[in-house]
Amino acid sequence: MTDAAGKISSTKRVLMLAGNAERLALIEQHPSAAMVSHDLPLRANLSVMENITVVLQFRTNSYIGEANDRAWELLQLVGGTDCAERRDPELSTEERFIAKLLRAVVLTPPIILIDRPAQLLPDTNYPFFLNRTLLALAGRFEQCLILDYAWNAPLYNSRT
Amino acid sequence: MQAWLTRRGQGFAQWMNGWARVFSFAGVAVVGALSPSTYNKATRLVVQKQIYFTAWQILPGFALFSALFSVLIIEIVGRNASAYGLYAYALELIVRVLVLEMLPLMTALFIALRTGAAINTEVALMQIQNELGALERIGIDPFRLELLPRVVGGTISVLALTAVNTVVALLLARIMIIDLNPWSLPPGEFARVIGKVLDMPSIGVLWIKTIAFGLAVTVIPISEGLNTPKKLFHAPIAVLRGMVRLFFALMVIELAALTALYV
Repeated sequence: MTDAAGKISSTKRVLMLAGNAERLALIEQHPSAAMVSHDLPLRANLSVMENITVVLQFRTNSYIGEANDRAWELLQLVGGTDCAERRDPELSTEERFIAKLLRAVVLTPPIILIDRPAQLLPDTNYPFFLNRTLLALAGRFEQCLILDYAWNAPLYNSRT
Repeated sequence: MQAWLTRRGQGFAQWMNGWARVFSFAGVAVVGALSPSTYNKATRLVVQKQIYFTAWQILPGFALFSALFSVLIIEIVGRNASAYGLYAYALELIVRVLVLEMLPLMTALFIALRTGAAINTEVALMQIQNELGALERIGIDPFRLELLPRVVGGTISVLALTAVNTVVALLLARIMIIDLNPWSLPPGEFARVIGKVLDMPSIGVLWIKTIAFGLAVTVIPISEGLNTPKKLFHAPIAVLRGMVRLFFALMVIELAALTALYV
């Protein structure tokens, strides 16, 4: 699933957008995709763990212990256990992104849609960060679509 | 003059629309609360948390406060009744004033200030920051997970706290009116007076009133919170409106209960 450079190839597609209208149309085309977006915040008064477990508990009616185990396992995969008990305002942008991503991934959806990563990770070399994080979660989803604006395309060609 | 009337009319129409939303949400909430399919492990956990924060966390302090308040009222009523030679009626008056009227209203007002204001702010912020929309997008019904459990937990909490306060007040009334003055009333008078005052219609009105208080302190703040425009500066306005509407509703419920019992 990954190429020699360690980048996910067949599971990840970066869709370069000309503008917002195209972005909205693409989102509309994938109504069932698990979405990670700046416009979809975490529940502010729940911890990162609770934000992840509540999805499992509500959607699959699982016990809190099982849901906690699953969430902890995912946090370990991406190295996010330090922020497990913290709430949204106490998180760095990377931690917040990880929490949103795991909330989307926890039910093993076919498609994950990451909307405008530059807005989610403003102070980060995000193509590299996305590659590393998605690689750690390989097998937890079938396809990841990244919606980014065309003017950010050169960032994805960087080798760093 | 016409402009003034138009403004007043618009204000009144908005106020009535707000009530329509409250009653509409209350209807949906009652149906949802009575429907077993509403509940799963996640929603039950939120109900438990709501009961913990609304009732259990404050139980010792609030029970102590209401006991002191009851002692004060019992003492005032007992002394005044004694001064007028009406000590035989003191117990009945205390049960009517404290158990049927003051304690349920005091409990509802306390929960309204503490939990109602918190729920109103939280729902308004969830609405403004699109947290409810985010839950919907990830396949979680925010009504079932976030809103309905608050109504159920809040209503159970108001009922439970009222019941605790009522029992404490009755025990204190028995101790202060009869046990400390055993010559003042014939044996068995306590049970007879309680049975007379708390007859079936009074108990029915007390139940209905307390449930209505419980629904009001949760439904009105949630309804106002949900109606907040998605701008942060609207949050305090939403809380202000919710609290004013809630106070008005509590007073109307109390007046309706008084009318049903005494008019």
